[in-house]
Amino acid sequence: MLKVSRLTKRFGGIIAVNDVSFEVKKGEIVGLIGPNGAGKSTLINLISGFYMPDKGSIEFNGKEITKSKMYERAKMGIARTFQNPRLVSNMTALMNVIYAVLGSERGKKISLVEAYGEAMYYLDLFGLLKKRDIVVSDLPIYELRLLELARALALQPKLLLIDEAMAGLNPAEAESVSRLINRIREEFDLTIIWVEHVLKILMKSVERIIVMHYGKLLADGFPEEVVKKPEVVEAYVGEERV
Amino acid sequence: MEIKFEPRRGRLVIHAFGRKYDWIIEPRYWRNPVIGFLIWLSLPLIVTLVASLINIKPVALISTLIFANILIIVSIPLVLQIIGTGRVNFGPHFFVALGGYTAALLSKNFGISPILTLPVSFIIGLLIGLALSPITIISRGVYFVLITLLLPFILAELAYWRSDIFGAETGIPGVEVMVHTGNFMNDLIIYFYISFLIGFLYLLIVDRVLRSRYGFLMGVINEDEDVAAAYGIDVNRIKVIVFTFTSGAMAVAGWFLAHYQGSFTGPAWLTPAFLILVLLTTTLGGKGAIYGVVISGYVIAMLREVTRTTFGELSTVALFLILLILLYLLREGFWGLYRKRRYREYEPSIRIRRKT
Ligand SMILES: Nc1ncnc2c1ncn2[C@@H]1O[C@H](COP(=O)(O)OP(=O)(O)O)[C@@H](O)[C@H]1O
Ligand SMILES: [Mg+2]
Repeated sequence: MLKVSRLTKRFGGIIAVNDVSFEVKKGEIVGLIGPNGAGKSTLINLISGFYMPDKGSIEFNGKEITKSKMYERAKMGIARTFQNPRLVSNMTALMNVIYAVLGSERGKKISLVEAYGEAMYYLDLFGLLKKRDIVVSDLPIYELRLLELARALALQPKLLLIDEAMAGLNPAEAESVSRLINRIREEFDLTIIWVEHVLKILMKSVERIIVMHYGKLLADGFPEEVVKKPEVVEAYVGEERV
Repeated sequence: MEIKFEPRRGRLVIHAFGRKYDWIIEPRYWRNPVIGFLIWLSLPLIVTLVASLINIKPVALISTLIFANILIIVSIPLVLQIIGTGRVNFGPHFFVALGGYTAALLSKNFGISPILTLPVSFIIGLLIGLALSPITIISRGVYFVLITLLLPFILAELAYWRSDIFGAETGIPGVEVMVHTGNFMNDLIIYFYISFLIGFLYLLIVDRVLRSRYGFLMGVINEDEDVAAAYGIDVNRIKVIVFTFTSGAMAVAGWFLAHYQGSFTGPAWLTPAFLILVLLTTTLGGKGAIYGVVISGYVIAMLREVTRTTFGELSTVALFLILLILLYLLREGFWGLYRKRRYREYEPSIRIRRKT
């Protein structure tokens, strides 16, 4: 479904993503981990079209999308969340989901009223229905993370890119976010790339883990095997939460 | 063809032309808009009455109303443009002058009637707007401000350079006027209603657009273009379309001026003072509220007239001081006074229309 080949992105002297290649099959849920500054967010930004790569190519559903614009990729079915929740802060929770419904491929065919209804449905999935009229700037981080997911899902994506859904949450909240992600994955037949800094919960939820370090792909495989690899352990030396 | 009225609880259903229309009798849906519309419509009458009471000539006051309508005709498209492109255009008067010069030159040199110069002025505004629209993609912030600010200066300089064509500060004379009944006062009142009609039409259109899905998406673009694009909105397309059409709409103000004054003097309108009045009209109108623009247009035009007749040499200083104070006091514009409850921008209101 997604094929990333020799992707490279530089910021000045830093090579944030360095010659990264991997493939994700339809229906897979892949964890993407690595210490801070490893290039995980940059990789998400490259796949979603936020940045253009310096080298390499991206293929989605057999189509080359390396040069496609961000909104085109969104319409093709690539949705992403933001590491630092990035919602339209003076709009309500509901309105923040509505524009994703309207922006989706079939968004053109439905009226504003229908989009309202659909947005309610996605809010409800994440238990946010009661918060629908609250202006986003008044919501706590846990609800912002849920709203990010609801908005991404409203795009009716085929591929969901999650950039740290659990950062800043307490263990109980993180647990429930993780459960929700697994639930929507089954219900909506999603392919997911899930970036997380914290390993523990991710380990239980994903079937495959990709490790990045200094922009490079360090390891790729079953979670239990990957975390035992010496180079991965070394990359995380000093990082307490492996 | 049959028209049938069917009263229901709280609404009236009208069957006409093979379709079904719902009219909600609930007064809060239409009472205030209707009152507002009627007041706007009867402003010349009100002003004439007031003038006779305080014993001054109503001519100056009607001219002021027309000036207010011009401010409104420029400001309504500008508000839509600000929302839809997420940028503040500092050159709306450039497009006014484009329309003015187009109408004046066509009328004076080729004797083309106002009815025909109207679409041509609009289209010229549209085309130049389209040609310039990439600036909404490649620039923002101060860069966008500077680019748009330079346009009217360049046009004014061109008007001086080829004063044989553009007439510089004496303008292009001999433009056909739209109305000549023989009675100056009647003419003015008709001009008021022509400009009123344009302003009202703009208000209806922009109101419709802002309530539509596109208005909603413009709200998102206005706040965060990256988020809009990440969620499937073709940001550049919307910005180009909005910029193009609003440019054409502003040019119509120039068309009106040319055929109202019987001449068009670019350097009189390509001034920072006119720009500031337009920007104040949009700002004091209240962010995101298109109706407020009508109120602020009238208040500002009236303030200008009052300061001009009472403060003599200091009239401009007095006008801008008063406006400065208003800006400071009315953080949500005149509309904020009307709508005191917590105000959310760009909330689309939904009218459910049942299909037959
Ligand atoms: N827009 C940017 N401009 C400059 N440097 C950047 C930018 N985005 C990321 N970087 C750099 O790229 C590297 C990778 O960052 P990032 O992808 O955010 O890492 P991660 O998400 O794994 O923590 C870091 O060194 C960061 O400073
Ligand atoms: Mg990151």
